[in-house]
Amino acid sequence: MEGNKWGYSSNEDTSNDDDDVNLPNASDEEEDLHFTSHSLPKSQFRNIKSKARWNEEMGMAEVIEKNGKMWVSTGIVRSGKIYTSFEETLYFMELGALHLVDSENRSISIIEMYEKVSSRMTGCCWELFEAYRHLKSLGYIIGRHNFAWSLKSIRSSQKQVALEGTEESKQIVDMGSKVEHSISKLFGELKINELKPDFDIYLPDSRFRKSSPGDPNFLLYLSRGHLPSRAEIETLEKQCEGIPLKICLVTEGRVSFFSFDKVELPALP
Amino acid sequence: MAPRWKGKDAKSKKEAEAEALKEPMSKIISQLQSSLVQSNTCGFLSDNCVHLTVQAEQLDLLDKACFGRPVRIVEKDMYWFQLTVEEAFYLCYSLKCLKIKINVGADTGPLNDEELWHYFRSKKETFPYFYKAYSHLRMKNWVVRSGAQYGVDLIVYRHHPARVHSEYGVLVLSHDKDGDLNGRLRVWSDVHCTTRLLGGVAKTLLVLYVNKNGNNDESLLCLTNYTVEERTISRWSPEQCRERSI
Repeated sequence: MEGNKWGYSSNEDTSNDDDDVNLPNASDEEEDLHFTSHSLPKSQFRNIKSKARWNEEMGMAEVIEKNGKMWVSTGIVRSGKIYTSFEETLYFMELGALHLVDSENRSISIIEMYEKVSSRMTGCCWELFEAYRHLKSLGYIIGRHNFAWSLKSIRSSQKQVALEGTEESKQIVDMGSKVEHSISKLFGELKINELKPDFDIYLPDSRFRKSSPGDPNFLLYLSRGHLPSRAEIETLEKQCEGIPLKICLVTEGRVSFFSFDKVELPALP
Repeated sequence: MAPRWKGKDAKSKKEAEAEALKEPMSKIISQLQSSLVQSNTCGFLSDNCVHLTVQAEQLDLLDKACFGRPVRIVEKDMYWFQLTVEEAFYLCYSLKCLKIKINVGADTGPLNDEELWHYFRSKKETFPYFYKAYSHLRMKNWVVRSGAQYGVDLIVYRHHPARVHSEYGVLVLSHDKDGDLNGRLRVWSDVHCTTRLLGGVAKTLLVLYVNKNGNNDESLLCLTNYTVEERTISRWSPEQCRERSI
């Protein structure tokens, strides 16, 4: 008789056995106790050094000696030169892969960069750097949101032309020595508290090319101070043009990521 | 997360799924509906719930459709059932198969939908939101139960809880002012807490944002203008998703 299989549906009877599933996130249970093992992805220290010159006005560094493969997926290209953002610069300095100097060829130490992190021109903040470091060390390819990897990529991607590229495209004309100016202008236009995604992120991919990066796999927004409201998430999503958005939270060095995805539960039979 | 059908081994899980397919929830609910209509079932208000007495047939159907809970009273051939306000109003207003009186011995006829709406609203301030959320899920034939055990408002099953584990833990929020309903999801720690707890029991957090679209809740008429936005909130692990498409 079928009745046997049903049983009463009081919550006590039915729900308790929901509990004996294996905890899917049991693995990170211990993580915080031993920060040397898991909390930070392992970073490889490099022997070969590249060299870059920090430009205070731009809040970026110009790479002057390239060594190693990282430049395939790091830094933006403008008129044949590679410029690295604050987080890219500091990341490779921490790895010992980049030697940074100022305009007078004096070495800049990591400590000096730590001090710079929150200054307005870097367009960065400490938590954003931590998020960058976390993903970068896992091999993700990360660019500032809507910053073209190269000017070629502007032509290859309709999307970026529509957004910011037009402004940049105009500047291609009188490129030459003005390139630095155009980039710093790009930074200057960023308002500090403007609600917009922070990073364009691609999955680890050895075939990645700055000249044809394609659409990012997802966009990342760093939650600053408070949990974004539904309305704020919607504002962010509008700028994503269908690309998934992840929201990142950094608390005391611990980086966590969340998806707030619009769904539609199916109508069941 | 894929549905987790219940059973000791893969074979009995398959069977549970097959049985659920053979007897979809919509069919069970329409059986319940016609059975309650035929027997002219009438419940009565008792504070913030509704009681009713039913025959063995309705007892079986209420259980299969997962409405309410039986109250154990020894009385021959009569079974007492207790419904939540949302369940009772759904049977009355949406399925039109239950009448409700103000008390057992009332000489007056059953209360109309509008009177019931006012009564439930006076008993539970959040009733308009919770009813919208409840009926939204029920209308899609999901089984809805209280989520109190998991620190959420509701939990939903794709069929009877005897056959399948619940897939979502639900929080009901207001679309306009986040968190003004139940104070939930105002801070990151609550997001961490809820996703972690639900993740531990293999459920996904589903948030239903109920939008009144500028209507007040004075009259039942405004209910049709309410809309619901569904969002899942889940943790994402960059360590595990390096190669998978997201």
